[in-house]
Amino acid sequence: MIGGIFAIVVLDLKRFWVDRTRLIAGLVQPLLYLFVLGAGIGASSRMGGADYRRFIFPGTMGLSLLFSATFAAITIVFDRQIGFFKAVLVAPVPRPAIAIGKIVAGAIQAMAQGIILLPFAPLAGAPLAPLQVVEMLGAMAMASLTFSTIGVAFACRFTSTTVFPIVSNAVLLPMFFLSGGLYPLRLAPGWMQVAAHFDPVAYAIDLMRGAVLGTFYFPVALSLGALFLTMALLVWAAVRVFNRGEDDSGLGATNFNWRR
Amino acid sequence: MSEKHPGSPAEGGTPAVEVLALTKAYGKVEALRGVDLAVGRGEMFALLGPNGAGKTTLFSILATLRSPSSGTARVLGRDVVKERDPIRRETGIVFQEPAIEQRLSGRDNLMLMGLLYGLSLRGARRRAEEILAQLGISDIADRLARQLSGGQRRKLELARALVTDPQVLFLDEATLGLDVDARRVFWAQVRGLADAGRTVFFTTHYMEEAEVADRIALIDSGRIVALGTPRALKTQVGGGIVSLRTEDDTTARAWLREQGYEPSDGGDALTLVHADPAAILPDLLRRMPVRVVRAEVHAPGLEDVFIKLTGRGLETGGKP
Repeated sequence: MIGGIFAIVVLDLKRFWVDRTRLIAGLVQPLLYLFVLGAGIGASSRMGGADYRRFIFPGTMGLSLLFSATFAAITIVFDRQIGFFKAVLVAPVPRPAIAIGKIVAGAIQAMAQGIILLPFAPLAGAPLAPLQVVEMLGAMAMASLTFSTIGVAFACRFTSTTVFPIVSNAVLLPMFFLSGGLYPLRLAPGWMQVAAHFDPVAYAIDLMRGAVLGTFYFPVALSLGALFLTMALLVWAAVRVFNRGEDDSGLGATNFNWRR
Repeated sequence: MSEKHPGSPAEGGTPAVEVLALTKAYGKVEALRGVDLAVGRGEMFALLGPNGAGKTTLFSILATLRSPSSGTARVLGRDVVKERDPIRRETGIVFQEPAIEQRLSGRDNLMLMGLLYGLSLRGARRRAEEILAQLGISDIADRLARQLSGGQRRKLELARALVTDPQVLFLDEATLGLDVDARRVFWAQVRGLADAGRTVFFTTHYMEEAEVADRIALIDSGRIVALGTPRALKTQVGGGIVSLRTEDDTTARAWLREQGYEPSDGGDALTLVHADPAAILPDLLRRMPVRVVRAEVHAPGLEDVFIKLTGRGLETGGKP
């Protein structure tokens, strides 16, 4: 089991390393949010530009982690279009190890992206003390693992590389917009505050915001509990897909199928 | 083409592959309709048939990637549904589709597969070097897979399948897209692996590829229609083939029918099967009412066997 997870993680990271320039390109989106959107909206909000940038830094970090983790999961869909995934499936690796390996590898890739973004914190008006950096890294790790689990749980149900990004955007963007990443949840309309309670991204970003600003919207224990619960449920869902004996064929199939 | 006949299932020991009354349906489509076969240890076995005959379905079941609808399939005495992992440890598989990572080097591809089969990092790296050397492709160790030629890529696929030194090697249309020369080189290599004691089970729709095998099963519409050594299959046709090209095929065909022959239209020539073609040819040529432009006698090939059994050619994709 551990050996299988290790093998999948090494496999994915080796391939990630080939595409490492993507880390630089991946910086563009969060920096745009932080310094363009942030400057524009901040100037017209009651918070003021500097405070607003500081406020949305954890939010853009969340956005960056969310998108890099999901992008990592897309390798599952790519591999299935060629025969590569079949070669993995006929190896004597327990199916849960494949799912967990993919999740861990995706989380590491998201973390790598996040760690590159972290030094921009002081520029965004959020200089971090050493203890805050440790807290932030812990929150980022939780967020990366959760987002990667979401990505894998989705990706293993898709066989089309053209459909998966469209569907994942349709799911990820609402999750991000509802999370309070770009505005304080406590000032949001009531229905959005209710919705945020069902949004794992909201808990993850709240943990990171707590590390940067020292104030939380959700109780920390609730956030951690919600993230662990999300992970547990989605790992179970992903493993179930990888486990179905008969569907081993579906997992390696090249036939076009919009959903599975 | 080897004359030896190793490990016929009756010779004792568990067969490498054993399939009994196997069926597989996808919804209403029956891909396999009751397949029985046994492959002895160390045997090189070909499953030959047109596209859509059920080859890949049978292959996927043996490769533990699909479950049968009914019947049983065993590899090395183990059930392909209930004992997947032990089978996976002992088999190597080459798929129709490329299953190597194009962006990684040959060595890295093999090393990562080794890890999946439980080798340590160092062990996997050593094993990768070993196989590359064994297949004579050490020169591609450091090259990215996408820079390789078609033939080299297929060899790398073969190397990937050999990472765990498997007892049984499964190949599904492994030379798809290769030119004739590259195919010959590839099969010579696989034949070598079989001669060294490995069991090889492969599917193909090229008859000349199947001739490399010790035994061949002809599959059509989900059923095995014939099974035997290449030589035995060809003698099933009985004797040889006469093919004639005449100035007026219609008249010639009618005349042949009157004489009690059963000519079939083999492309641009009239062909007929006879126990002793060389003996009847002079008489035919003398008495035929139309002028014969060209006459040929040849031994039956696997294509003739397939036509005789199914009324259709192999390359026509199973359509009449």
